[in-house]
Amino acid sequence: MIATVVQLITRRLLAAIPILLVVSALLFGVLRLLPIDPAAMSLPPTATIAEVEAKRREMGLDRSLPEQYLIWLRDALHGDFGRSIALRRDAGSLVAATLPATIELAVAAMAIAALLGVGGGLLMFHLRGTLFEAVADFASILLLSIPEFLWGLILLFVFGVALQLLPFTGEVAPGLPLPHMTGFLLLDALLVGRFDVFLSACQHLILPAFALGLAFSPTIMRVLRSSLFDVYHEDYIQQARLRGLSEGKILLGHALKNASLPTLTLAGVQFGILFSGTLLVEVIYSYPGMGNLMVDAVRNADLPLIQAIALTYCIVVLMINTAVDGLYVVLNPKLRVR
Amino acid sequence: MLALQAKGLTVTARIDGDDVPAIRALSFDLAPGKILGLVGESGAGKSMVGRSIAQLLPAGFMIAAGSLLFEGEDLVRMAPARRRGLLGRAIAFIPQAPMTALNPVRTIGAQFDEHLARFGEAGRKQRRERALAMLAAARLPQAGDLLGQYPHQLSGGMCQRVLIAFAFASNPRLVIADEPTTALDVTMHPQILRLIAEMQRRHGTAVIFITHDLRLAAQLCDDVIVMYAGRAVESGPARAVLSKPAHPYTRCLQLANPSLRSERRALYVMPEQMPSLRQLRQMMGCHFAPRCPLAAEDCRRSEPPQIEIAAGRSVACIRAAATPGIATTRRATAVPDSSGRPVLQVEKLAKHYAIDRGLFTNARTFAAVKEASFNIAENEFVALVGESGSGKSTIAKLLVGLEQPSSGRILLNGEDLTDPSMRRGALRALSLQMVFQDPQSALNPRRRVTNIVTQAMEAGSRHASWEERQRRTSELLAEVGLSADFAARLPGQLSGGQRQRVNIARALQHSENPGCRRDRVGARRLDPGPAPQSFGAAARRARLRHAVYFPRPLGGAASLQPRAGDVSRRDRRAGTDRGGLRRSAACSHASAAVVGAAG
Amino acid sequence: MAGPLFRSLRSVRVLIALGMILCIAGCAIFAGWIAPHDPGDQNLLSILTPPAWVEGGDPSYPLGTDSLGRDVMSRLIYGARTAMLVAFFASIGAMIIGSILAHISGYFGGAIDWIIGRLVDVWMSFPPVILSLILMVGLGVGLGKVILAIVLVDWTRFCRVLRSEVLIVTRNDYVAAARLLGFTHWQTIVREVLPATLPLLITLVSLEMAIAVVVEAILSFVGLGVGADQPAWGQMIADARQYVYQSPWNLLLPIAAIFLTVAAFNLLGDGLRRTLDVRLAETGR
Repeated sequence: MIATVVQLITRRLLAAIPILLVVSALLFGVLRLLPIDPAAMSLPPTATIAEVEAKRREMGLDRSLPEQYLIWLRDALHGDFGRSIALRRDAGSLVAATLPATIELAVAAMAIAALLGVGGGLLMFHLRGTLFEAVADFASILLLSIPEFLWGLILLFVFGVALQLLPFTGEVAPGLPLPHMTGFLLLDALLVGRFDVFLSACQHLILPAFALGLAFSPTIMRVLRSSLFDVYHEDYIQQARLRGLSEGKILLGHALKNASLPTLTLAGVQFGILFSGTLLVEVIYSYPGMGNLMVDAVRNADLPLIQAIALTYCIVVLMINTAVDGLYVVLNPKLRVR
Repeated sequence: MLALQAKGLTVTARIDGDDVPAIRALSFDLAPGKILGLVGESGAGKSMVGRSIAQLLPAGFMIAAGSLLFEGEDLVRMAPARRRGLLGRAIAFIPQAPMTALNPVRTIGAQFDEHLARFGEAGRKQRRERALAMLAAARLPQAGDLLGQYPHQLSGGMCQRVLIAFAFASNPRLVIADEPTTALDVTMHPQILRLIAEMQRRHGTAVIFITHDLRLAAQLCDDVIVMYAGRAVESGPARAVLSKPAHPYTRCLQLANPSLRSERRALYVMPEQMPSLRQLRQMMGCHFAPRCPLAAEDCRRSEPPQIEIAAGRSVACIRAAATPGIATTRRATAVPDSSGRPVLQVEKLAKHYAIDRGLFTNARTFAAVKEASFNIAENEFVALVGESGSGKSTIAKLLVGLEQPSSGRILLNGEDLTDPSMRRGALRALSLQMVFQDPQSALNPRRRVTNIVTQAMEAGSRHASWEERQRRTSELLAEVGLSADFAARLPGQLSGGQRQRVNIARALQHSENPGCRRDRVGARRLDPGPAPQSFGAAARRARLRHAVYFPRPLGGAASLQPRAGDVSRRDRRAGTDRGGLRRSAACSHASAAVVGAAG
Repeated sequence: MAGPLFRSLRSVRVLIALGMILCIAGCAIFAGWIAPHDPGDQNLLSILTPPAWVEGGDPSYPLGTDSLGRDVMSRLIYGARTAMLVAFFASIGAMIIGSILAHISGYFGGAIDWIIGRLVDVWMSFPPVILSLILMVGLGVGLGKVILAIVLVDWTRFCRVLRSEVLIVTRNDYVAAARLLGFTHWQTIVREVLPATLPLLITLVSLEMAIAVVVEAILSFVGLGVGADQPAWGQMIADARQYVYQSPWNLLLPIAAIFLTVAAFNLLGDGLRRTLDVRLAETGR
């Protein structure tokens, strides 16, 4: 079994390389459609035409598009993603500084989505056949219709502005130190022993994480419920009843494991989408993650930074998808043995 | 004390607000250690009996009256907890579809362990040993490895043995086997039956054996009840009932089932079908009357009562005395004269599939068909028989052009169909058509019958007028024995048998075209009952000249007097053999097994 | 096909959803007649006024004004026009591209399927939000560009989902039978396969409209949407966010508008899925 999983993951990672190449090339191409001149933008407005030309040559913008791409690729493989035009810092280090915060947010949100989703799905399934089923179903569709950015705004308004229960800006309360060891604030705070920082960070994480989690839990709920429905129609459930097993044993011992397979696959896919959903939530809560960085970069047409961040998002999502596939193989015996 | 006793058991189904009886006043006694057979076509209510015992009836069904006494206790009025306690312990079930009866994501061992834990086998080790013992008793090799495997890794036959081991593991007093062999290959049937008989003997269990196959019931059961439309129409000792049936229905069933050993005769065709629950609401009198060759006025007036005609034998028919007179004509044993000139010649046909093609691995090839050669002459019907997986469907696809052969030739009237050229496509469509196996997927559910049987008129640049199509539809429907008012129906409104006929009619569309040969390639799973007759009847009526077809139960092959070609699994070659399906010395081991299993 | 479609009108969900959509579409179409003011009209003397029923409100601005004195109600109504235009054209566009490729891919299989499959894989490895942002950066702002961006991002979802369905349908014997009777590939796809995939297609279009409304709102929120001259709900939210303490209504009203529109499309998609799916199994009854 381990062999199959390792084989699968290796194959996927190898397959991911050409995908990343194509993706980065597309990114490169699309961004070059812009009618802006990065050289002019990186110089003060008083620069002369000659200076702009010199800058252009320096940035390599006078070469052909494929050449520019190859140069960028060569640099990227060495870890050099260029310099941010607006922030005048190395793009790679900017991304590395903000990525951990986004990961923290995404993981917290996914945990909330999973808990709510599984709980809600089991509840909806339990209500089947009763009057409440229709109500629950209707409610879940309405919940589905609130995307994460609306949730972010609603929660901000209700709990932040109206009730003033929770903070809604930034990562920690202002004035608290930011310990830096692994880059993950929650972890670092614990490692350093500053529980006040930890607490504040948690408080600040609640609203954005719930915004994302609430947005993605209805899908998980519905898939778990419909998978359970499908599983209960299968022959082996009826046979288990004929063997005298109790309904509880059937649900926990047989049905759930089977129903969890499609649910997990979907949850995995959702994680990828959730990860990219962090962008908006970060903007709404001024949370210092990659999303905020991206939006600023986009507003400034900061090409190297945009490229670096977009590529990072792609890599993370690809890794998540590969992990989900590997997990699926582990859980589904039919895929394990050839 | 009786293992199981049914007294006036009545199960009703809620149809359009009414409660329609699905089982009516069924009564029987099952002594411990005896085997009772419940025989009938699908829809007769046999499976409902099993479900009533377990009280796991589908939605809308309920036990309206009567009682089911298991060792004296009424299952119907029992507390649910107590009843659940009996299931899996004192009462066990052997399912119909073994492959799907076990949880696919848990090992056999884990599920067996869970099952054994229910009846108090303490300790993992003891349970494992007991499981191994049961699997060995079920003649499963390498039982130890088996426990660690998953259901999809086993074949259908092995799965069924495991399930039989499950059923008998608790030393039950009653086992209900619901069509345990239907989903398996014909070659598996005798082994499974033998196993059930052996286990039954060893444990002294009473068994209810539910089946649609009269002969299986005769082989295994002590007593038999024949059911029709929810009612027991005949019951008594198995040998007696089946050798000298008293009820016309039993006799017709016997005659409708083809047999290889008996003399060649036409199959009895029972008109129409067993009434559905909906139709039963409006029926008066004997429910078999519409199809009965002995039906008289009295029969339609009221339902015949159960009459005891001998010790332990009863019949629900007022004309039972005339039953032995029902017979069909014997067929002339001579094979019809064929001119000998081959219409279709298949020479060394082969088909390889490449599998596992990866960037770094070489493609492995899987030979679906190796070197198939046979001819079909004018006026000939050829049957290709073989187990599942022997390559029959692939040959069918190659003949009609859905797949291209890897090597070999197909000659139709001398023209090479494997030669890539344009004309060939049109010519082939005109002369070689396929009647597909699965009636569910063979007809487009959105097309009305008219559109299906005249579909060729829409093809290419042909545009036929509506009147033309309707005219043609009536002709084709007449050829297959359907009335013209079927033309406007959708497949969803047709019964299985009617769908098969439409299927055949579609394949016959081109037969009016003068000067073309009408070969029909039919990949048909001929289940017992109406199908062989309809194909044969339709084929005869449509002046079908020659056909190749692939029957599953072999008996169906015999009734149409084919020349036999057999495809054996191991060799995947097709060889031909004249003069019927009697075995000659030159045949392979596998095909002998197939013939033997067919009886 | 018409039969099941009309039958779906009997579903409560579908009716409610259609009712809501018709209202919103009505606002979109008749915006010029319904809206009390021109949405771009600024009145710097009455900025951030609350709705008429709150103290301090002005009846001539029924739902209040924003930070530039523009009438919120008119902006909501014209915003509906933006949202509906984007929803309609973007989903039709994505549907056309996605379903053509899905049918070709699923029906023919083999190398064509592989190529299209890889194309979809690559395309989908871009998180959709990121991709649409980048496309807008590259294309520039404007209504047509937003529609184009959404089409370019979402056609892959149509393709992937429909392809599975096409594979299942094509496996049916009646598709092979049509070929045997002389149908060309094109005829087979249009007459045998497409009618079977149509229900799923229609459901997907409805769901896509919901997604399109959300994406348009997100893009406008970030400032890369239809442009500042056209009213858009996302823009209203971005604007209102800065003054949330002074006039919370300006934030809540566009949120409600987006929610109702998206919910209506989701309801419609769900209702259609239930009626069209089940019905097809019982044709003629």
